[in-house]
Amino acid sequence: MFTVGAVGVVIRRNPVVVFMCIELMLNAVNLTFLTFARYQLVNPTGTDIAAQRSAMAGQMMVIFVMAVAAAEVAVGLGIIMTIFRARHEVDVDDLNLLRG
Amino acid sequence: MITPEFVLFGILAAVGVAASVGVVAFNSAIRSALCLVLNFFVLAVLYFTLNAQFLGITQVVVYTGAIMVLFLFVIMLLNIGAEHFLNEKFDYKRIVGLAAGVLLFLMVGSQLLPALQSFNHVSALGDYGTPQAIGHTLFTEYVIPFECISVLLLVGVVGSILLAKRKM
Amino acid sequence: MTDNFQLVWAIIGLPLLGFVLLTLAGSAIEKAIGRRGLSIIAVLPILLSLAISCLLTQKLAGLAVADRIHVVQGAPWLSVMGLNVPFEWSIDPLSMTMCLIITGVGSLIFIYSTGYMNEEREYARFFTYMNLFAAAMLVLVLGNNLPLLFVGWEGVGLCSYLLIGFWYTDLENAKAANKAFIVNRIGDWGLTLGIFTTMVLILGSYQPVADGRILSFDTMQAAIRISSMSHPAWTTAAALLLFIGAAGKSAQFPLYVWLPDAMAGPTPVSALIHAATMVTSGVVLLNRMHYVFEVSQVASAIVCGIGAFTALFAAVVAFGQTDIKKVLAYSTVSQLGYMFIGCGAGAYWAGMFHVVTHAFFKALLFMGAGAVIHAMSHNQDLRNYGNLRKYMPITTATMVIAWLAICAIGIPGVGGFAGFYSKEAILGAALANVDTTVNGLNVAVAAGWIGIVVAALTAAYMTRLMWLTFFGGEERWKQIAGEPEAHESHEMVIVTPTEEVSDPNGFFLATAPHVEEIHEHALSSDHVPKEVPASMWAPLAVLALLSLGGGYVLANHDLLQNWLAPVSQAQYLSGGGEPEGLPLGWISVGAAVLGIAVGILYYRKGLPKSEGFDDSKWSHLRLLARRQFGFDHGLNEAAIDGGGLLANGLWHGVEVHVVDGLVNGIAGIAAILGKDLSQVTKGYVRAYALVMLLGGVAILGIMFLAGAR
Repeated sequence: MFTVGAVGVVIRRNPVVVFMCIELMLNAVNLTFLTFARYQLVNPTGTDIAAQRSAMAGQMMVIFVMAVAAAEVAVGLGIIMTIFRARHEVDVDDLNLLRG
Repeated sequence: MITPEFVLFGILAAVGVAASVGVVAFNSAIRSALCLVLNFFVLAVLYFTLNAQFLGITQVVVYTGAIMVLFLFVIMLLNIGAEHFLNEKFDYKRIVGLAAGVLLFLMVGSQLLPALQSFNHVSALGDYGTPQAIGHTLFTEYVIPFECISVLLLVGVVGSILLAKRKM
Repeated sequence: MTDNFQLVWAIIGLPLLGFVLLTLAGSAIEKAIGRRGLSIIAVLPILLSLAISCLLTQKLAGLAVADRIHVVQGAPWLSVMGLNVPFEWSIDPLSMTMCLIITGVGSLIFIYSTGYMNEEREYARFFTYMNLFAAAMLVLVLGNNLPLLFVGWEGVGLCSYLLIGFWYTDLENAKAANKAFIVNRIGDWGLTLGIFTTMVLILGSYQPVADGRILSFDTMQAAIRISSMSHPAWTTAAALLLFIGAAGKSAQFPLYVWLPDAMAGPTPVSALIHAATMVTSGVVLLNRMHYVFEVSQVASAIVCGIGAFTALFAAVVAFGQTDIKKVLAYSTVSQLGYMFIGCGAGAYWAGMFHVVTHAFFKALLFMGAGAVIHAMSHNQDLRNYGNLRKYMPITTATMVIAWLAICAIGIPGVGGFAGFYSKEAILGAALANVDTTVNGLNVAVAAGWIGIVVAALTAAYMTRLMWLTFFGGEERWKQIAGEPEAHESHEMVIVTPTEEVSDPNGFFLATAPHVEEIHEHALSSDHVPKEVPASMWAPLAVLALLSLGGGYVLANHDLLQNWLAPVSQAQYLSGGGEPEGLPLGWISVGAAVLGIAVGILYYRKGLPKSEGFDDSKWSHLRLLARRQFGFDHGLNEAAIDGGGLLANGLWHGVEVHVVDGLVNGIAGIAAILGKDLSQVTKGYVRAYALVMLLGGVAILGIMFLAGAR
């Protein structure tokens, strides 16, 4: 999923779609976090405190990522909307004002 | 060993990957968005299988309920049509991007998959994924990041309002 | 007693002081005490130097022969890494002889110039330069090491430039001065390389010198004698390079071209610098470094050969000249050739002998010519003269003595004029020489026979000059209708303008040949020449006496030869003597008498048609001679055009292609690189994303690879 998202960011020109691919990547990361967190607790010879804590840490991480993603989407879409009020075209390639 | 859990996971994973490819591949933005929604649902179910119940629900509510709705609103508002893929001249970046992506997948996968093979046991846990556990950890150990996140959300809100304020 | 030798500092210091004084305050002094006072201040230093030179010479003569090389040490100059070159003066027979000549003949010329240059506005500047010249020349002869000699060498070159171009407002004079300096420079190049080669020779002998003064003349000889045995090739190279230097200064072929053009300067300058002193620096150098030349037969042969050729060439060219000073210039070149014949034959003392006698009679000839020019309103063309003995008896008498001296007239066994003895010494040494043999040809002997032929030619052209000027009965200037035109651009026919040519600002117009405060009439047909004032003929008289008896005195009992022996005696070449069975004296006198007879016969009726103002009547050979057989012109073309071609070629090939190509190429590469690299910052978002992706992949890849090892 991460790979697909990354490729999508590079390939697609529609900024909204690019954004969605970014979300895709973030979710892939979330999944990874949770998976590893969960499987810290697999070991049946007794879950020690460290494993417990790292498991919880994984979940925390996911929560934060979600929150960040939400905020980012809000702001990002706001930006996109602002840009597209100015010009009615939608093309990432045209957004080269940061050229140096 | 083929267990029911494995089969379930396989189906879910396949659907999820297909959905993500669909996000990238569809010309139309709306179709991409809908694929993404599907992807998020699949992910939520996956979270449930990982005993992270709270996070699964949160995924549905936050991601699909709020974020994707936002996306769809924006797409509809801006009337973003289909991209003209074919207009692009043969862009080397696509090829390179694809190649890089494949490479990335191979590299990361080669490290992860062997590790994941050994995860076969699913044992019952305590209150691992419950809201109580999460809440407990969140407000004790991770309270500072929590505050930071709230500030971040505040900034996000303010920013959105600012951005949306002109004209409209 | 040896303390008195410290007075040598005064010999050099007095003219130098005079130079400084005149530079700083020349015109102020002139305004304060008038021209008379300025003259006294200008001439006094060299007179005092003369007195001191006489004193020191007498002192030196009082010492035993073996002690006659005395070095006066001074302040250190170059002292680095074991090489010590201090300011030091050598008081020895050679330097004292030259000092006497420089200061003696010099003071006579200075006195003469007070009369000759009396009408010049730039009087003070003239004596400034003359004093500087005296100082530089004295440094050259007195210096005890090669660098000091070189300092003097360059100094006299500079003064030559300044004095030739004294009337610099005329472009021709400036060009002549440039030519002198530049041709001299070529000689200096040779001299510099020669000094370096000599240093290599000295170092190669591994002779330790106590205080590191390896380039000093008193310590050099032993070292060079040793190393020249084992390094003959280097010795020849050093000798030839030194000879190039000498040839530049002493106007040998092909570096003689500056001397005739140098006649653009005032006549006293020609007398002092280009007759008596500067041009003899080459001979002095050869005397100082004679041990380098002795060992190398090839070098000595070349010196002899070029000397002979120069003598012959200049003598032939002199027949085609119509400017009195040019005739004398070529005569100087020819006589210098004689001196080099002597040096090449190993009789270095004979070369010096001729230097001394030549100083006497050539300075006399030039000053006499100056007197004539002065009397004829600065007209220098021989074709306008004639029968001047009626008007200028003293000048005529002194000039006759000089003429006989240069023709080397004498009766062998009895006595003769100055030139007789010195020329005989040179020719005798040349004809008796057995060592200078190259490829079976004994160059010195051949040079000797050429010398005899040239003696006849010398007598002929000098007779031509004398008859056309002083004798002949017809006073040709009376036939001038209007102003005589200049027939050749390089012939210095100076026409005095009839109107004032100075503008109120004190600048002189470039068309004025020279500036006079009192404008004179042009040489017109009713001009009456007058004898020159005493300040001008008195030195002439003194020099005439010297030309008369000087040779006899110096040759008596081999006085000069023995006197110069500590410095100039050649060890390996047969230095002097007469060839057996050959009545050399009679032969040379006979040749001279023959030349005189031919001259008188040809010119007794005055100016023949074939040499008049009408060029079409000139004989073809004479026309060629007038143009030096095209040599000067050819040299100019080669140097200027060749130099231009070289410069252009180098510019195009190297500068444009290589250097500019390199620079522009680097700039181009930078530009291309910049353009390509600037793609990164284009603002193209997807490119950024791609790069990020690629970067991540790369880093992971590296980590995996590193971890996998």
